[in-house]
Amino acid sequence: MKKKVLSLLLSTAMVASLAACGSSTDSGSSTGSADTQTSGSSTTTSDAGAAADAGSASAGSYDLTDLYITVDGTLTANVDNGQDAFVEQWQTAVAEKLGHPITLHINQPEHSGYKDNVSQLLTTGEPGDGQYPDALIMSATMFKQYQNTGILWNMADAYANAEFQSRITLPSINENMKTPAGELYGFAPTYGNGCVTYIKQSWLDAAGLKADDIKTFDDYYNMLKAFTKDGQTGVIAAGFANMKEAPYINYMPEFWQGAYPAIYQKDGTWIDGFQEQATIDALTRLQTAYADGVIDKDTEEATTKTAREKWFSNDQTTSEGVFTYWAGTWLRTLTDNLDKNDVDADLGDDRLVQLPPIKEIKDTWGGYLNREAPVWVITDDGDGDDSREQAIFDALLETMLDGDKVQTLWTYGAEDVHWSTHAETFTTNPDDPEKKKDYEYAEGEFHLKQTPNDPNSVWKKNHLDPVLVIAPLTNGFVDSDPLVEAGNKFFTSNAVDAPQSPSNETLTEVEADLTVDKTTLINEVVAGKKNAADAVAEYQAKWGDTVASILEDLNAQ
Amino acid sequence: MSKQQKVTSTGQTLNKKPLGMRIWNHRGFYLMFLPVFIYVLIIYYWPMLGVRYSFYDYTLKKIEFVGLKHFTSMFADKDFWTAFINTLQLSIIKLLITTGTAVIVSVFINEMGNMLAKKTLQTVIYLPHFMSWTVTAAIFTLFLSTSSTGFINETLKSWGWIKESIDFMHETTLWRPVYYLVNIWKETGWGTVIFLATLSGINPEIYEAADIDGASRLQKIWYVTVPELLNTIIIVLILNLAKVLNLFESVFVMYNNRVFSVSDVVSTYIYRKTFMTAIPNYGYTTAVGLFKSLVGCALVLICNWASKKVRGRGII
Repeated sequence: MKKKVLSLLLSTAMVASLAACGSSTDSGSSTGSADTQTSGSSTTTSDAGAAADAGSASAGSYDLTDLYITVDGTLTANVDNGQDAFVEQWQTAVAEKLGHPITLHINQPEHSGYKDNVSQLLTTGEPGDGQYPDALIMSATMFKQYQNTGILWNMADAYANAEFQSRITLPSINENMKTPAGELYGFAPTYGNGCVTYIKQSWLDAAGLKADDIKTFDDYYNMLKAFTKDGQTGVIAAGFANMKEAPYINYMPEFWQGAYPAIYQKDGTWIDGFQEQATIDALTRLQTAYADGVIDKDTEEATTKTAREKWFSNDQTTSEGVFTYWAGTWLRTLTDNLDKNDVDADLGDDRLVQLPPIKEIKDTWGGYLNREAPVWVITDDGDGDDSREQAIFDALLETMLDGDKVQTLWTYGAEDVHWSTHAETFTTNPDDPEKKKDYEYAEGEFHLKQTPNDPNSVWKKNHLDPVLVIAPLTNGFVDSDPLVEAGNKFFTSNAVDAPQSPSNETLTEVEADLTVDKTTLINEVVAGKKNAADAVAEYQAKWGDTVASILEDLNAQ
Repeated sequence: MSKQQKVTSTGQTLNKKPLGMRIWNHRGFYLMFLPVFIYVLIIYYWPMLGVRYSFYDYTLKKIEFVGLKHFTSMFADKDFWTAFINTLQLSIIKLLITTGTAVIVSVFINEMGNMLAKKTLQTVIYLPHFMSWTVTAAIFTLFLSTSSTGFINETLKSWGWIKESIDFMHETTLWRPVYYLVNIWKETGWGTVIFLATLSGINPEIYEAADIDGASRLQKIWYVTVPELLNTIIIVLILNLAKVLNLFESVFVMYNNRVFSVSDVVSTYIYRKTFMTAIPNYGYTTAVGLFKSLVGCALVLICNWASKKVRGRGII
């Protein structure tokens, strides 16, 4: 008995000691997480914290030595593609500009899991832990969810005083992101871009169709039907709707037409588009098309990667004729991938036709949707002092649009790794006589080099799209690809701004569940398990009250 | 007799030394044990302190005590109960099916006379166990796809057995049978290891006696092999019953939105609420995790009790 009692006492003592340790951690974290100490990753000066506490420090008094950023796959100079050189040259260029060195640490989670990764980083981390980002990129949807949480820094003043202001050609992009109180929590260095519908020219030719004749949904649908035979299908997309990210309908715009299955502003009033008749009609169109077999069966589960890879695969016998995807640079990428897979080699850069918005899209939205721009945000350490955040702005965002060296790094990548101005010649696909292509450049001529991890293709761009950027380069470095230019021109002349995403605390809390339920209902309707009206009624029964309170709150703002 | 006294086999009475003295006397062993003890404390017990967050709101920049709020929300959430019931159903049925299949396959393998064929078969059926669930799910998804690349549907159509493709992975009525089949394919081979070991330990004299009594092959299986295996079958079931709530990977890689009602389990529910929510409340998901652990703990104790009853000793 004594032994048991002793064991129990020892166990209790162990648990108590652990709990005591835990308590001390807890008390530390409960204050620390909210007020996050100023020392840490972004500073090495111990007096910085004291200065911050005094609330009197300016950006100049803050010694930013390490900069931690988190970025998605849009930074194409990734670890396999010369990121080391990018970081090294960025550090050198920024040190020259600011007069002191800064070490750049890039955390680049897997692109499709970016949102989940960021939420984990921001919830469980704190500045200085070596993972918590000083700045990070967010999609418009994410940005709206985080905007009112208090973890983002209001950069309105920094933005207004930025050097690049004098060179901004598209000021409305960032001005429109300001809150009614004039606060600005994110910075968009480019405009959003959007998707256009691409059709394979060879499929049109085989079906005896012309893209110019496809003007209405009926024309479009008949084309899909003509494409659907012998294992080939009309169209594929990554899901019937991309409910995770606004503008939700951009991968299948012809089916969705004027519908918008989310909360959006219509004639000045916030409404829930999922409950509108337009959504019921769109779901019914998708259901019919799925039953007719013109939508590829892989669409429901496909990611953007799997959808596009099937579309440009070298096995065109199980492929699709139509794919709606990003405009501009992606026209080149899709064409190159078809080329790489020996698809329609004889058509060269004319493999793909960009379909102008059909009548039903023009009559409702006015064109393809130009999504809200992704933004860079700076995390606020909550100490009431802006010196750390201003220093991050100066080092990262101010330099990002300097028009010169740093902007070139973000636009094209590292010199002599991704691009060069030195005389050189190189050949892509040297072993394939049909694809072999020689490139020759004179000394001083700006040009892109071979992609670091794929010498058979030429590098395209880094993080900033030179065509979409709001303040162009001033050093004259331009990579002119007629196909990309044509793609961008086509999009800008056929696009309208997508609806703005709402920002509401309750919506943020339930957004994931809403997304799951809406995706489930959409999939069930399209698969013919439910009719569209019943699905919307089911949605209303479960979410009606919650959505009504969200709308009430949004409309009261 | 005092508890401090110990009687030896020869009837001598020894006075038991105090614990402190015994520890000191065996200090070398305790010193060797110390690193393990510290390791266990840090790796296994330190993280457990996180369970306290089930009583807190733990979101961005906010850690606030909320008492039992999360447990109330959890019990009021229909999706949670769906996940909980699915977990029990999927786990228990899977356990019974895979154990049953493993027993049958073990008996058949045991009956095989050709050693080469026996060893080859054993190796072949063990292999799927070493494939990751991600690869397994990808293979079966591809095989069962409704698109033109779906081998099963295309084959059935070419034979004229079906006209329209069957959506195996998205039909609520078909998902579970597919899930069980995939589990049988993957785990049966590995499950036979313990039964084959038991079978090899059966006394051959019992079979000889059965032969003398004129028992047929089937009668020997039924009256000798199966009863000899029964104790092992019960032990395997009991040991695995304690783990029924730990269902995650196999479901996570195979389920999808359309079959949530029959496939969502507690672990996938926690995963979605934690990692697929814009701004997750870790307090809530910790509460769900704690509840799951408590139920799991109760199951372990029940199984321990059942084990003591069946085989005379517990599992813990």
